[in-house]
Parts: sequence; structure tokens; C-alpha cells
Amino acid sequence: MLYDFIVVGSGSGGGALSYYLNKSGAKVLLLEAGKFYRKDTFPKTEAETSAYLYWGGGIEFAKDGRMGFLRTKMVGGSSIVYQCLMDRFDDIALNDWKNESGVNWFTPEIMAPHYDQVESDMVLHTFCREEMRPNGILFADACDKLGYKWGYLRRGQSNCAPEKDNDCTGCLGGCFRDSKQSSLVAFIQKAEKEGLEIIAETEIYKVEPNKDTCKVHGFQNGKQVTFEGKKVILSGGAFGSTRMMHMSGYKSKLPALGKKFASHPQFMWLGFQNEIVDAHKGMFQSVASKDPNFRAQGFKLENVFASPISIGMLMNETGIEHQRLMKQYRYMQCIEVAVRDENAGEILCDNKGKLTVSKPLTDQDKTRRDKGHHAIENILNTSGAKEIYKSKFYFGLHLMGGCTMGVDGATSVVNPDFQVHGEKTLYIADSSIFPNAPGINPGLTIKSLGHKLAQQLIK
Amino acid sequence: MANFFSTRATKGLLNVGEIYCPKNGEFPSFKEAAGTAYLNNFVKNVPEDDFNSLSLVLAIFSFLPNFLLVWIINLCTNAQNSPSDGLLYSNLRQLNLGLRGLCYSIYYSEFTNPNYKGKKALDVLDYKLNRVTE
Ligand SMILES: Cc1cc2nc3c(=O)[nH]c(=O)nc-3n(C[C@H](O)[C@H](O)[C@H](O)COP(=O)(O)OP(=O)(O)OC[C@H]3O[C@@H](n4cnc5c(N)ncnc54)[C@H](O)[C@@H]3O)c2cc1C
Repeated sequence: MLYDFIVVGSGSGGGALSYYLNKSGAKVLLLEAGKFYRKDTFPKTEAETSAYLYWGGGIEFAKDGRMGFLRTKMVGGSSIVYQCLMDRFDDIALNDWKNESGVNWFTPEIMAPHYDQVESDMVLHTFCREEMRPNGILFADACDKLGYKWGYLRRGQSNCAPEKDNDCTGCLGGCFRDSKQSSLVAFIQKAEKEGLEIIAETEIYKVEPNKDTCKVHGFQNGKQVTFEGKKVILSGGAFGSTRMMHMSGYKSKLPALGKKFASHPQFMWLGFQNEIVDAHKGMFQSVASKDPNFRAQGFKLENVFASPISIGMLMNETGIEHQRLMKQYRYMQCIEVAVRDENAGEILCDNKGKLTVSKPLTDQDKTRRDKGHHAIENILNTSGAKEIYKSKFYFGLHLMGGCTMGVDGATSVVNPDFQVHGEKTLYIADSSIFPNAPGINPGLTIKSLGHKLAQQLIK
Repeated sequence: MANFFSTRATKGLLNVGEIYCPKNGEFPSFKEAAGTAYLNNFVKNVPEDDFNSLSLVLAIFSFLPNFLLVWIINLCTNAQNSPSDGLLYSNLRQLNLGLRGLCYSIYYSEFTNPNYKGKKALDVLDYKLNRVTE
């Protein structure tokens, strides 16, 4: 069978892209390494979520063991576990992309119709004061006192049942109500009804493009399989697509492969309050910093939280001291700083497919982190925290780069048409093509880039 | 082949877990409460090489006296703050995070030892999550 398009990877990028391609009437195959879970089959507990859904069996580490990376392996990719905060990139981010890559369509005007289309295919909700939980109120009130600007978040959700006291922290392991607008909910399940062919549990290790078609080789239940399409688009994410390109032997042709990796390193600090905060309850995340000074200084703050295992991982203490801190779980106020980092990381891969990721924090990253920490400390002190826990552990949820877009094959992997330099039938559309870190939630832009490529391919 | 902890490695994990999460007031002892029967489920997606290294380290830990194990765990914990990016410290940091991940996944979970009848760690935190399906 010769498909019109084969999309490898079903996350934010691949899910949206295959939906738009399929809508055009083309014969599309969506391949995914992970399993096909639905709202009623997602794991039920935090321990199972982490062990079953994530690559690496929970978390992957940078070579130096300082930073953890989180990405998931299932139909819907990381969009199943994301918090679904949907932001457009601002002029600063797109301008920096344009300058780094030489790609002249990275402008708000050219991106606008793609954002418009994707937004209209998702249910988006902007929070308001009435929906704020104590963690958000403590954050916002302290920001007001300190003169820091903050704003309500916009999240993809259709019906979270707050009136029934539904706790959305659980949706970090997949939403049981199909309310959160993952790629699965907003795109894949809709396309499935319209005939999109989806094959899960099929991990691709090699692409083989030629003049008119492209083959992909992979494993399904331990057996070797090959599929062929007129065009193949890799959407395996920063690690996944970069790995497939490495394993297909592209490093010698494209020296930029694996380079310019960034990840918005996130540092979570806790403030212990005298009153119960219950930061894990309800629609737990509703506000974030919206301060132009913070943006200019290269960081942003969010009032996030997580379930006990993840909170435990923030603490380096053992034994009784660890338990003393954890005992205050319900009293914890939580703020994280996400750093707009330099793309100094690199994703390497050996011939067996084992990834090694280096992600040093540059001096600039450290300065940005420290400024963010200073602001967090001010907020926690202003909100009356009796003790502050300054976690040193940091992690990346926004994995970007490795197959960056650019005009020059010496410094990038795909051209401004999303084509791998020098290939006619092989494309990449996911977070791996980001030229550098935007400092803004990437999900909406990844989907919008998928829409842009779909429009171009359908033509 | 599926990842599977030997009895030795499981014993090593129980010893390490007891250092991370000892009996302390209402908190249960890791050894008593941990549902080791579920352990292999939690590692089934860990890459084989990483699993084998972890399993070997845990098996070695099972032979060590407690004071030595405490010393090693402290070394791992302190590696988190070390400026060195050398192989030793990088591996110690990864071991620290890997061990803590495994221990907390069992300790702060519903998967307790069926013979353990006391309060679970999640109950001590008074943690409840309400997930509404309909
Ligand atoms: C906990 C968490 C919270 C987040 N919150 C937000 C948020 O609120 N807002 C936001 O914008 N972003 C958020 N993100 C980030 C966002 O989810 C990712 O940036 C985005 O999903 C990346 O999209 P992608 O298509 O590049 O990759 P992914 O979504 O990771 O999808 C890649 C897919 O490809 C598959 N794959 C990889 N290799 C292969 C292969 N060889 N063969 C077949 N399939 C393969 C993977 O299994 C995966 O399903 C969050 C991430 C996490 C982990």
C-alpha cells in the first residue's frame, strides 16, 4: 500500500498535522511507538502513569544527571499529559526565530491564520477570579503587592466538572473526561472517525527517502515492518525525530543534527503556609506571571503543583527530614520559574539508538534562573510562607530543537518548507524544528506549524 | 526480555527504601508497607541497559551493612550539589534520582504490601484526588 502521507509520531505536532491532511481526503497513515489509551483506559494512579506512559519508564536524564526530561509514549504523545496551556508566540519569540534561522515567514502576521485555525478546532477557556484556587490567589495577591504583573491562563478544556469537585491534577496522567484538549481529543479521535488510519505500538527506527517516495522501517510486536508513502513527515518530538534522523545516518550529511537543543528548564519552589492550600485540588493552575520585565529578563513564573511522588522528587533530603517536608503536602504553595534558555544542548545517539543528551546551564541561563528565584522568594515571603523549600532539581517539559529549521543546511536540518535539506519526500514537523527557545508554552505553535505544513502539502 | 528484579535486588531496594522512608510517627516503614509484588510493573518500560545496571547495584546493596549503605546514599544525595560533571558524580546523581523515583513510586502509592494493615503514606499526607468521569 502506498500512502499519500505517513506521519510518524502522534503528539502535538503529528496529531494536528494528520488531522488536517486527512481532512483533505488524502490517504494518511499515523504511526505511533506507544500504546493507544483512551479516557477510560488511562492508568488510574500517579505511580502507574509515570511508569507506563513515559519514555524511559518515568524520566530521562541529562548526561550530567542534573536535569530530568519528561516526554510520553502513546497515541497523543506528550499532549496527553500536558497541562494544555495554549499561548501564541509574541513578536519577541518569532523575531528571534527569524534572526536565528533566516526563515522570513516567522512573523505574527504569517502565523496568525494558522493559530486562528488551530484555536477554532480546540475548545479554549480563559480562567477568571472565581475559578482561582488558594495557590493562585496567594500568587496573584502577592504579585499585586509587589507590583509584578500577572494574568489568567488560557487552557484547552471543554467540561472539567468543577461543580463536582473534579481534581485536574489527575489529568497530568490523561483526562478521564475527554475535557482536556489533547491531540487525541482535539484532533486524532475526530480524524479517526473520518478514516485516518492509526497504527500504535510501532516504533520507527529508520527512514529511507528516494526521489518519489519514502519508506519507514520499524518494529511492531518485535517484528520488522516497512511502510511506504509519497511523503513522510517525522513528528516524534525533539528526542524522537532527532533519534530517527541519527539512526538513518543523517549526522554525516547534516552536521547540525542534534544541536541547538533547549528545554525551558523549570525549577519548582515550595512555600509552607499555616492554612491548608490544597494546591492539588480543582482546576489547580489558573494564573501566571505576565510581567514584561520578567519577559525581558528571560523567565516566567507559574503557580503549578503535582501529585506526591513528583513533589517528593523535588526534595533531596532523606528519612525523617523528607517526611517532615512531605507531611505538609496540603499546606504547600508552589511556584515555578521556567527559564528561556540558550539552545546550547545537544542530542546524541549511538548506533543502537541510545540517546545521550547534554544540557548545560549557560551563565545566561543561570542568571535568568536566579532572577526568577529572587521573584519567587519575594512572592512566597509576601504571601506569608513560614518556610520556603528551594528545590535544586530541575526538569524540562518543553523539549525543543535537534532538527532545527533554517535556510542553511550547514546550520539546520530542515528548510523553510519543513523538508529535510536535500530530500524531496522527507519532512519534519514537531518541536524538534524550533530554532531556539521561545520562553512561551510551545504546544499551540507546534500544532499551528503542523497546520501550516498540511496546507502546503495539500496544495 | 522483561525487566525483572531478583530477590537479591528487591532486598537491596527494601534496604535503601528504609533509609529514604523509615518508620517515623504515623509514617510507615518502607520495608513494612512497600508492595514489592508490584515492583516489576513499575520498571517494565525502563530501558534494558539502565534496568540491568540498577538491578546490579541493588543486588550489591543487599549485602552491605546499613552504615555503609547510609554512607553511599549520602554520597548520592550530596552529588546533587557537587559542581563536578565528571563520570562518577554524573552517575551518582542519576542513581540518586533513579532510586528516589523507584522508592517514592512505591511508598507514595496505593500499591502497598497486602499484609500491611496500617496507615499508608498517602493517608498520612491526607492526600485525596477526586476524578469525576461522568
Ligand atoms: C507534564 C507536561 C506538561 C506540559 N504542559 C504544557 C502546557 O501546558 N502547554 C504547552 O504548550 N506545552 C506543555 N507541555 C509540552 C508539550 O506537551 C510538548 O512540547 C509537545 O507535546 C511536543 O509536541 P511534539 O509533537 O514535538 O512531541 P510529542 O507530543 O512528545 O509527540 C511525539 C510522539 O512521537 C512518538 N514517537 C517518538 N519516536 C517515535 C518513533 N521512533 N516511532 C514512532 N513514534 C515515535 C512519541 O511516542 C510521541 O507520542 C507539557 C509537557 C509535559 C511533559
